Amino acid sequence: MVTLMHFQIVSAALFSVGLYGVLARRSAVLILMSIELMLNAVNLNLIAIASFTDPERFAGFIIAIFVITVGAAEVGLALAIVLRMFRNRATVNIDEIELMKW
Amino acid sequence: MIGMEYAWLIPVLSFVAFPLILLLGKFLPGKGSSISIGAIGAGFILFLFVMVDRLSNGATEQAFFKIDWFTVGSVELTWGFIIDPLSVSILGLVTFVALMVQIYSLSYMKDDPRFNWYFGIQAFFAGSMLTLVLADNFLLLYIAWELVGLCSYLLIGFWYERKPAVEAAKKAFITTRLADVALLVGILLLYKQVGSFSMSETFEQAELLMAGANSALSSGTTLIAALLLFVGAMGKSAQVPLHVWLPDAMEGPTPVSALIHAATMVAAGIFLVARTFVIFEAAPDSLLIVAIVGLLTTLMAASMALVMTDLKQILAYSTISHLGLMMLSLGSFGYTAAIFHLMTHGFSKALLFLAAGSVMHGIGRTDIRQMGGLIKVMPLTALAFGIGAVSLGGIPIFAGFWSKDEILLSVLDHRHPIFMILVLVAVFMSALYMARAFFVAFMGEISDENRKGHEAPVFMAIPMILLAILAVTSGLLALEWTDSFRGIGSFIFAHEGHGFEFNLMLGLGSTILATSAFIIAWLIYVKGSISISPFKRTFAPIISIAERKYYLDSAYQGFIDRVVLVFSSLVAKFDRVFVNDFAVNGVAESVKRSAFTLRHHVTGLIYNYAFVMVVGAIVLVAAWWAIAVKG
Repeated sequence: MVTLMHFQIVSAALFSVGLYGVLARRSAVLILMSIELMLNAVNLNLIAIASFTDPERFAGFIIAIFVITVGAAEVGLALAIVLRMFRNRATVNIDEIELMKW
Repeated sequence: MIGMEYAWLIPVLSFVAFPLILLLGKFLPGKGSSISIGAIGAGFILFLFVMVDRLSNGATEQAFFKIDWFTVGSVELTWGFIIDPLSVSILGLVTFVALMVQIYSLSYMKDDPRFNWYFGIQAFFAGSMLTLVLADNFLLLYIAWELVGLCSYLLIGFWYERKPAVEAAKKAFITTRLADVALLVGILLLYKQVGSFSMSETFEQAELLMAGANSALSSGTTLIAALLLFVGAMGKSAQVPLHVWLPDAMEGPTPVSALIHAATMVAAGIFLVARTFVIFEAAPDSLLIVAIVGLLTTLMAASMALVMTDLKQILAYSTISHLGLMMLSLGSFGYTAAIFHLMTHGFSKALLFLAAGSVMHGIGRTDIRQMGGLIKVMPLTALAFGIGAVSLGGIPIFAGFWSKDEILLSVLDHRHPIFMILVLVAVFMSALYMARAFFVAFMGEISDENRKGHEAPVFMAIPMILLAILAVTSGLLALEWTDSFRGIGSFIFAHEGHGFEFNLMLGLGSTILATSAFIIAWLIYVKGSISISPFKRTFAPIISIAERKYYLDSAYQGFIDRVVLVFSSLVAKFDRVFVNDFAVNGVAESVKRSAFTLRHHVTGLIYNYAFVMVVGAIVLVAAWWAIAVKG
């Protein structure tokens, strides 16, 4: 039997991997990909809960749709920033972008 | 007909003149002097009307005017004036002498760049002094008292480009201010017991106390209050040891010395004791102290006047000596005599100072060792000075004799014989130093340089002449003139009016003392037949003490240097180190330092920030779990 717990574990695992990517990658593009992974993990979690607990209420599904939409918009914006960054600095290595410090 | 109801105008006119002079003075031909003289002249004329009104309507009754000022809680402050014989007489003295001095100043201060300001302060002083005299409650008196002190400071330090003048002004203000603390405490003490600042209510309670009836005042409090008031009076009227400011005050322009430090402001202390006399009478020991201080002052100041070589200094110490005499008179229940002498001394001393100013104007010097024979170049001034000298010296006919004699009478009647002996010594000395000043300055040989000196111009001469007339004739106030004025004894008195009293023996004795002093001085300084060198040798130690002003100035200076300044440098140090460096700057410094350390957390690396966010999110979830789920 596949229970809700399985879905949530998978979702948690995906989320953790995405989190590790955000914290440990040097390239800005890879960070963005990791953020997308986190968003997908969250979507999975939401839909799993919605399906298993009360499919008649569409709350979870609707939130997932929202997340996808916002994720898309945010990626557009983030890629624009990365592009700009690349054009200015000729690098997407975030280790080298640390001017706004003390 | 203008009567007593308009008396309140007298001070108000001068007060109003002050801002007018400062604002409009520059545009007027007299540069403001016309406003000032106009105000005080009007004041004098009003005084004459008030005086006539008083005499025709029952000379000795009192009249009051009151305007409520404001009330704070249960404390009522009013602006009230009391018109009684005492205030009317001093009103006359002040307005007349102020008028004379201001006319004199037209000439004396003619080329001064701050002519405008001078007359402004003269007007302000006149207003304040007149208010002081007319005040019917202690608070108003105190306000006027302080204002008068302020004007004195401003006028002594008028030529503030000169450092001695600045120092003298500071000294005067600080010394009198110290005394004023005692005055304030005394006033507050009385207020606490009586419940009101009103003088009449306070005097009522004092009279009840004297009669042995139930009074708001207790005898202990009354004694303390009387003594505190007296300390305040000591400051203003230059009693020993608070007299040190008056000789230094001679740094101011001579007309200022004539007005403030001879006739009017220094009279304020005497006036205070006279005005509050009933309080002193309710605590008779206070009067003994007043008499002793007065006697001490008279003798010490007279001895110092004998050895001074600056003309104005001689006159300053003479003033202190005569003020001591007036205090002695008050302390010997000689109320009338003291006020009478206040008036005659006021006229005579003002005359002397104006004459001294004329000498300065004429030859540019005040050291009597550089004078001599000045009568040849300035006869009018010499005559004026001479009249003032014989008046204060106590030669009969002249005014000073009559008032001095009344003082001697009260000392004889009410005090221990030792007072009498000492006061006669003082009388002799006062005649001696006056004669010395006159003979050394005006008689004898005139130096070639002094020959170029000139007599006083018209505006300086006229006040001198008028004051000289008064110095001669004001003695006649002692006698009866009209039905309503039976001599000054019936006009100004503490309890009952009395007619003209004259003790022949006393009068004769003091005349002999005074005349012999003048003769001795003449023989020493003009004829040169008596040499004072043996006298100087025998009394050398005393003479040197007197010349060093009894070391009082050095004592004060030593105290200031060693105690006051040390203490204040300690306080300054505390302020600098603790309050400023530690508390204020310290707080700022610690904030800065912690900020400098904490700023390093802003690394600029995104993954650091992301990590912190994650950690924070985990902490929040854990906390929620612990509280909401577990707890």
